Amino acid sequence: MHIEKHPVLSRQLLKPVTIYFNDQPYQAYTQQSVAAALMANGIKKLGVSRKLVQSRGLFCSRGRCCSCYMTIDGEDHVRSCMTEVEEGMRIYPNMDDPEVRREFDED
Amino acid sequence: MDKTTIICRCEEISCEEVEEVISNGGRTFDDVKRITRCGMGPCQAKICTSMVAEIIHQQTGLSPSEIPLPRMRMPLSPIKLETLGTNSTSFSAVKSVLDEVEIEEGKVR
Amino acid sequence: MKTDVLIIGGGPAGLSAAIETASRGLDVTIVDEASKLGGQLNQQTQEMRPLPSVYEPMRGFELANKLIEQIKDFNVRPLLKHRVVGFYADGSAGITDEENVFPIKAKKIIVASGAAEKAVAFPKWTMPGIMTIGAAQILINRDFVLPGREAVIVGSSDFAMETAMQLMAVGTRVKAIIEKQSEASAKEQEKVSELLRNGIPFYFNSFIKEARGNGQVEQIDIEMPDEVITLNVDLICMDGGRMPILDVFYQLGCSFGFQEELGGWVPQYSNTFQTDREDVFIAGNAAGISTQGALLLTGMIAGISVSEELQTISPAEANEMREALWKELGLLEYKEVYSGRVKHLENFTSPVLKDQFIS
Repeated sequence: MHIEKHPVLSRQLLKPVTIYFNDQPYQAYTQQSVAAALMANGIKKLGVSRKLVQSRGLFCSRGRCCSCYMTIDGEDHVRSCMTEVEEGMRIYPNMDDPEVRREFDED
Repeated sequence: MDKTTIICRCEEISCEEVEEVISNGGRTFDDVKRITRCGMGPCQAKICTSMVAEIIHQQTGLSPSEIPLPRMRMPLSPIKLETLGTNSTSFSAVKSVLDEVEIEEGKVR
Repeated sequence: MKTDVLIIGGGPAGLSAAIETASRGLDVTIVDEASKLGGQLNQQTQEMRPLPSVYEPMRGFELANKLIEQIKDFNVRPLLKHRVVGFYADGSAGITDEENVFPIKAKKIIVASGAAEKAVAFPKWTMPGIMTIGAAQILINRDFVLPGREAVIVGSSDFAMETAMQLMAVGTRVKAIIEKQSEASAKEQEKVSELLRNGIPFYFNSFIKEARGNGQVEQIDIEMPDEVITLNVDLICMDGGRMPILDVFYQLGCSFGFQEELGGWVPQYSNTFQTDREDVFIAGNAAGISTQGALLLTGMIAGISVSEELQTISPAEANEMREALWKELGLLEYKEVYSGRVKHLENFTSPVLKDQFIS
């Protein structure tokens, strides 16, 4: 849930933006981190662990634990707690190791 | 602590696996790391160091000051190869590696 | 890029050091990975006391804004969303803005890298909905997001007590405070009393036996001396204590000492807050976990010492100011922390760990 009226801070929620998680639109506000914005929309599972395939989400919220890794705008393994939301952002959960081999166009 | 509790979140190493290394003579974080992969994941031991030190302390009786810090290598946090391999002509990723190496008469010393 | 003083970390200590150096004419660059200066102050809504005499008591984010206002008057270059990657053989810092890595060559470096939160492990602690108290505080005060509706707090330090109050203030139901020792570790009893007045039970000599849930935490078993109780929660905030962030010091080849009262391994430094690397100074939580007022003072001392080294003030002036600041530090800081710091300084010439760095 987004905190509409913060009990102490006079600055309230800023500009609303729409972000996409698994191609679904969700409401977020500028200056929120991707992980926080998803949590506000009830999405806490941001990916799964590599070996035991167990749910992972936000843990430290300061870019140290890498538990919040997600694929954002085509880039894999982005620390979603350190990335601010932007209008139209496309976000996918970190479900398995990224594809390293890609097709390249001849330059 | 329950033996199955995960200690290293990134590589999913359990308390039991850490304790096994210590039973077999491991005394430092790096000992545990080399045998189990604990601390080799994306966070590079940022989260598990203090927990492993506590387990070593409890199992061996070594005081915390006798349990040295793990190796901390660069990059200090995850970085893209694209970022490291800058297009700058005055500075590049190659230079950063060469800095670690001493060149004498065009050859590595 | 060249600069007189490179300050790594733009939190309370880094900003204080910036004010002391830049106000004396030095060219100062601050590197911080966040998008705003102020560090942990930005997420703190509680009133900070005691603060050094130059500041009246104010809330964390107010202090952050005040410090940021002060540096605007001077030649300070804040590099936000920049972080340190490593160091080069010539001593330059490798800094990235996520697009490139570039060197910054500074005459002196002040490392104010701050504190890291330690985890508390229990079965299934890796599930979503389980986070550090700092993470919960960031969600509430920086992101304006509710971290959960029904919570428990593991640990009972002052920081944990403040987070519990902040959670309550935004409507989260704090169902219990679980402490493994026999009493709360918070130094300020009023915080514990206030939570008790609000009907929040403290379970001492207790710990979480197991967390359960489908894709995120939904329920926990708490093991207490005489029974095991089960609570439905969607949020667990853990407080495992804090320790200095050391990786930058390690890369710079600094030596370390162990001091329990300061949070564990701490880079060795002298009373000028200079490490055993000639051009590297230290400030803030990295020099020992302490309260906000103390962090500001350590930043000021480091800044004054660097100003002295770069000859913008005389040694006599610097010594006089340092003496006054150390005296204030002794009054402001908790006794155990201050005596730990004094002991740590005594070990400067005989550190426990040195020559650690191998590239």
